Amino acid sequence: MSAVLYHGEPNGPSLSVLAALEESGLDIETRHIDLRKGERHALPGVTDAVALDMAVEGEGPVLVVDGEAMSEAVFLAQYFDEQAGGAGLQPEDPYAHWQMLMWCRQATERLSPAVAYLGIFASDAPSEARLSPIASEDLRARWQDWRDGAIDEGKAADSRAKIAQFAERTENQLADGRDWLMGEFSIADLETYAWLIGAQELEPAAFEGKAALAAWMERVAARPSVQKALARAQTDNPRRSFAPGPEINRWG
Amino acid sequence: MAEVKLYHWEPNANSGKPMLALVEKGVPFASHYINMLEFDQHQPEYLAVNPQGTIPAMFHGTRILTESTAIMEYVDEAFDGPALMPSDARDRWRIRWWMKFMDQWLGPSFSMIGWCTFVGPSLAHKSPEEREAMIARIPLPERRVAWRKAMFAEFGEEELAESKRRIALGVRMIEEELGKRAYIGSNQYSLADINIFNSTYMLPVGNPELTSPELTPNLWRWLKTVYRRPAVQRTWAMGSGRFTDRFNAIMGEFA
Repeated sequence: MSAVLYHGEPNGPSLSVLAALEESGLDIETRHIDLRKGERHALPGVTDAVALDMAVEGEGPVLVVDGEAMSEAVFLAQYFDEQAGGAGLQPEDPYAHWQMLMWCRQATERLSPAVAYLGIFASDAPSEARLSPIASEDLRARWQDWRDGAIDEGKAADSRAKIAQFAERTENQLADGRDWLMGEFSIADLETYAWLIGAQELEPAAFEGKAALAAWMERVAARPSVQKALARAQTDNPRRSFAPGPEINRWG
Repeated sequence: MAEVKLYHWEPNANSGKPMLALVEKGVPFASHYINMLEFDQHQPEYLAVNPQGTIPAMFHGTRILTESTAIMEYVDEAFDGPALMPSDARDRWRIRWWMKFMDQWLGPSFSMIGWCTFVGPSLAHKSPEEREAMIARIPLPERRVAWRKAMFAEFGEEELAESKRRIALGVRMIEEELGKRAYIGSNQYSLADINIFNSTYMLPVGNPELTSPELTPNLWRWLKTVYRRPAVQRTWAMGSGRFTDRFNAIMGEFA
């Protein structure tokens, strides 16, 4: 089996997937690419590009296994955990597993679109965004809005509200004094942390006065897997590195 | 074994997913029919079960579970019976990928067209005041927006065109996927087949311009294979009205 993980700066989905790989202990080659230049869309040796082109997640890391491109951060983390024969990243009890999946789904549907949306407009627009190789029309439209500075104030306000709600929700989840979101450490901690640190850069007020949240963020940051992932940064502040993420919910 | 209670609408889309998963696993359950078009899901009795007011929801003993795909994953893990997920890690990844693609990209487009052409008109006989009162009871703001569009026919041309584009592309992608493997994402029947079948079984009558033995031979083969499963027939027999009639009409054509 040949496998390469292509990832961007350690923020958002690239951070959670790199940390999950470290936690799993799997020996998989990693290569740094610039997601903000669309480099993900021109990977060598990709023969099966469905999951690369059409990922709901937008610009995230891509694992290429035997020519098949694999995407979606939470599912890549589950893949690493299961490929390693169970690395302790998912609860074994079915109900606890359901709770973790529900938490991750809230994070990927509500938090990550909000952070990515505010994040791209808060950073330099792509001067030479390589839009042509992007097969997905709706993802390309999000790149074009970024290039044109076409921020929708309604979506921006909704995104700020969703970040505040998720910070509050995380604080409440930790209110009983637990160390990790699901009790035991899991993918939920990595996925949530990976988006909240970028959110904190954009909306610091949403994090003020939340002691349990702050202590939990320090605990996650202190994990060797997260430290190793952050050490792969090539810019001064990877927390400000954003590329177009999931679309803002368009129906239902 | 703790008792299983399922709150669901017709065997179709989100409600049909946990119904079919339970029947495939051979798990007996008490069925609580929620009439979505009468807004049973926003009545106090149901909000006590699921404060979000979304269907389906499932009790397993005292545990309450929501979100159709996540419920299916729980059902597969918590009960004996045939495995509805393969053991290979890459197959499992692929199944999850396709379910997310359906739940968050293709499914909402099917839903928008369905609500525009069926759900909205089904409520047109109610007075505007009655419809406003129904909307006011909906807990989630996103759902209030969706129901308002459906009930007052406020869909824009552009968003309907975008949904139709996604449906045509999604059907082509599923056709391509089923040209690679016997089932969605793997070579065994799984949660991804239950998920995607629930939103595609009506394509032969609803979208014959996209789905036919000539245009989509692999999708056609797969639809027939899944249609013929005893659990599928038992599940659709639990429905009432238009969905089951339509299902049986399609089955008749294949017989």
